[in-house]
Amino acid sequence: MIAQDAVRLIWNSVYHSLGKSLLTALGIGIGIAAVSLLTSLGSGLQLHMLDQFSMFGTRIIAVNPGKDITHGIGGLLSSVRPLSLDDAQALDSLPGVAFVVPVVQGVGAIEYGNRQRNSDILGVGAQMSKAWQFKVSMGRFLPEDSNSHSRPYAVLGYTMKQELFANTNPLGKTIRVGGLRFKVIGVIEKKGQMLGFDMDDIVYIPTDKALQLFNREGLMEIDITFNTATTSAQLAERVKRVLIERHGDEDFSITTQDEMLLTMGNVLNVLTIGVAALGSISLFVGAVGIATIMTTTVRERSAEIGLLRAVGASQRQVLGLFLGEAVLISLLGGVIGLTLLAAIAAALSLFIPALPLALHPFFLILALLASAVIGLLAGVIPAYHASRLNPIDALRAE
Amino acid sequence: MIEPKAMIELQQLCRSFQIGDQCVHALDHIDLKIEGGEYLSVMGPSGSGKSTLLNMLGLLDMPSDGEYLLNQTATSQLSEEGRATLRREHIGFVFQSYHLIPRLTARENIELPLILAGIAPKQRKPLIDKVITRLALTDRAAHAPNQLSGGQRQRVAIGRAIVMKPQLLLADEPTGNLDSASGREVIELLEELNDEGITLLVVTHDQSIGDRATRELKMIDGRIASDRVTRTAS
Amino acid sequence: MRTADLIAFNLKLIERQRLRSAMLLAAIAISVMAINLLTGIGEGGKQFVLGEFNLLGKNVLIMLPGKKETTGGIPPLTGEATRDLTLRDAEAIARLGNVSAVAPLIAGKMEISHGTLSREAFTIGSNRAFFDIRQLEQAHGKALPKLPFEQSQAVCVIGSKLRKELFGTKPALGQWLRAGDSRFRVIGILKDKGEGLGFDMNEAIIVPVANAQALFNQAGLFRVFIELRSLDGFQKTQQRILALLKERHEGEEDVTIITQDSLLSAFENILNTLTLAVAGIAGISMLVAGILIMNVSLIAVSQRTREIGLLKALGCPARTVALIFLSEASIMALSGALLGILISELLLYVARGLYPTIPFTTPFWAQAGSALIATITALLFAAIPAQKAANMTPVDALLDKKAGQA
Repeated sequence: MIAQDAVRLIWNSVYHSLGKSLLTALGIGIGIAAVSLLTSLGSGLQLHMLDQFSMFGTRIIAVNPGKDITHGIGGLLSSVRPLSLDDAQALDSLPGVAFVVPVVQGVGAIEYGNRQRNSDILGVGAQMSKAWQFKVSMGRFLPEDSNSHSRPYAVLGYTMKQELFANTNPLGKTIRVGGLRFKVIGVIEKKGQMLGFDMDDIVYIPTDKALQLFNREGLMEIDITFNTATTSAQLAERVKRVLIERHGDEDFSITTQDEMLLTMGNVLNVLTIGVAALGSISLFVGAVGIATIMTTTVRERSAEIGLLRAVGASQRQVLGLFLGEAVLISLLGGVIGLTLLAAIAAALSLFIPALPLALHPFFLILALLASAVIGLLAGVIPAYHASRLNPIDALRAE
Repeated sequence: MIEPKAMIELQQLCRSFQIGDQCVHALDHIDLKIEGGEYLSVMGPSGSGKSTLLNMLGLLDMPSDGEYLLNQTATSQLSEEGRATLRREHIGFVFQSYHLIPRLTARENIELPLILAGIAPKQRKPLIDKVITRLALTDRAAHAPNQLSGGQRQRVAIGRAIVMKPQLLLADEPTGNLDSASGREVIELLEELNDEGITLLVVTHDQSIGDRATRELKMIDGRIASDRVTRTAS
Repeated sequence: MRTADLIAFNLKLIERQRLRSAMLLAAIAISVMAINLLTGIGEGGKQFVLGEFNLLGKNVLIMLPGKKETTGGIPPLTGEATRDLTLRDAEAIARLGNVSAVAPLIAGKMEISHGTLSREAFTIGSNRAFFDIRQLEQAHGKALPKLPFEQSQAVCVIGSKLRKELFGTKPALGQWLRAGDSRFRVIGILKDKGEGLGFDMNEAIIVPVANAQALFNQAGLFRVFIELRSLDGFQKTQQRILALLKERHEGEEDVTIITQDSLLSAFENILNTLTLAVAGIAGISMLVAGILIMNVSLIAVSQRTREIGLLKALGCPARTVALIFLSEASIMALSGALLGILISELLLYVARGLYPTIPFTTPFWAQAGSALIATITALLFAAIPAQKAANMTPVDALLDKKAGQA
């Protein structure tokens, strides 16, 4: 039998009971739509998260005090042996290092005139704006001062500036941060939120001043960015060596951004797969549907199967025709599913524009392919039954 | 003179079914030779094995014992695929209830064996056209079976049976669902085909139809009770 | 038609179409099972997480230094603020009327050694009240002694894992540990409470808060746990504490109070939404099963056209014909749902065996709900075919044109 004829015969029988075929296909279609939508949401979320995490750039290494940060709070706790500003300074001269940013974070009252705001205070080094690629929209960033005697300058986040100064010019004004006086020398452009953390409701002050303010001995983190002359693994090794030499012991931990992105990517992948697996339950039910309908079809058309065999169709041809029917219905389902998906995606992007939805053409083709495979699997048993029917009994069935 | 080899030869052929705990011999040690071009009728009471014989000759059924030689080829050793090929190329079936596929037109129904044989559309066309003209179905070719009369339906079924130019045409009560006028038409058509050389075997209850054949088989209890040549072929 | 006859009639039909019925049953069962299983896992996970965070009683407040005005942001969890929360603050709070206990907390990581063995451990500075509030129990020895806040004493209580790592199989009680420049005598070993989601107390060492201040050279507290005598006047006491701190901090309100309930309810909301979302996704399969029911019913109606005609000819009203199809669908749905619930219960039973700490149980509302949804879905989707059957005229049905030809 030539392929073209087979397709025509199969199409003919699908089209002949169009209502039944379409209903069956709709079942698969809903499943396909569910799986592709959930997968798209998952990978959209993944892209979004990775985007957020690489806000500070990707060529970055973080050093935290404490050997293991199992509970993610290592840097926040008091440690006997802190990371010092001198440690940060020592890392600056390593080959391949672009910028080093010592970080201390806390909260406190920020006052200007009679306006007051309690919010985040970030003690950072002068290189922070370059390292994290934060642009200054007004004035300039903190200057390079000697480590322990920085001038009392402050740079404001966008929200902080709005809250304290509204639309007036903050440059050169004196604010009080935790009771200490700082001169505003710059404003950072609007950055938005990062994982629920408002990056704009912040005041940036020199690290040594922040240590004083919080009465802290050590840094919470040292961020190191590096240029293309080195790799993150290489640099991490060098940083480790320098700090062990200075501390006599490995009492800190190093996280590289690509390591973190990888871990997070893995977690999100698992999440996406999990959600897609949930969605595929409906796909499975759809497959049961195809199998059920094909079973009844085989029973209904057993006389026809007998006739086909009598006029010389081989068992393999009968198997092929019924398998083809299951696949065609399932493919039809795939097309319905993708249409549903397009409609839902359009509606979603209209009503919830913020929803990260990544529709990848590859996934769409995969969805069609998957539907064909489902049809094949669901059709196997009924089609096998059809091919094994005794032609004499089949002809008599009426 | 060399004796012509029989087209069909059944040797001690048996077919038994297990029904409950009883063994039924539908065909009981049958010996039969049929030459090419013969016109046979098979008659006998219900359950005598007529249809089983027809199915056996049509390679739809397998003997429990004995051998069936078609064109001197033993068929019992053939694979299912091989039997399907033989059916397709050498045997045509005509059934009492026509067995047309309702969603295909008359023309497409006739075309079916050619499609299954994998013949290209271009080569198919003249073959079908010829059959349609031969059966005077030209103005009915595009109709679906349920738009045709019984006689027309059976003509379509015959068209389907002969489109592959088989040697053997097996008809199981071909007039059973037809009024007498259409029935006569159909049987005359079959006889015309026989005149053109095709071997024709008709299973029937109807004595008047049975009498038309040149060789009449009577079956009782799975055996051929009588086998007589009523007249030599004209 | 009597209900019993109707059911018997249906059962005979279901039996006749064994394979098809089995598949339909499977489709419904899978959907119901998915909903129940996922709700069960979700609930189990939720109870587990909430249980982990529910270590403190309802009447406990957590105070953090610092305050943020950003709406909807994370509370100032880093514990660094421009003004410290001091032991004197804690003492002042302890003197308030409705306050029954106050546990100040300083936490850090520290190298702890015994002989040649050493290990960086999670070090907590607190007091006796901390043991009560966190519901810590000792496997051996006793808890920290009751001391005035500012009095130090060289004693410690350690977690079971830390004990094993530093002492192996040797007795630890009464032994001395070194931490930084100080030495502490082990007076108690904590009971192993299993891996928790919060701080792992098995690896912790607890010393008096004054000792911890010296150890970390830090006066400011990381947290203060405040236990209230009663839940009455909960809000008022919270206000009074804030007012007291404001007074002590020169008129500035610069601390944040978190209640266990607010933390938990936020968590619970998230987890509930998650469970519902997951069950909802599973519910999509119910829709697919519903479509299947409709399809099969339609086929059944067309196959049984003559039977319908006969029923009508015998005087069966249209309503009964519809009922026959609807009741068949409901029987399938209900038995499918039952099967699904049974399978999910079985799987959850196995899961409970594998993870005894997580209470996997499907809430009753999910079971009843999924069975109800299955039945409603079946009725909804069978309605069109049933209507179609009911509306046939007996003559047409008996003379079913499609059935005769071929």
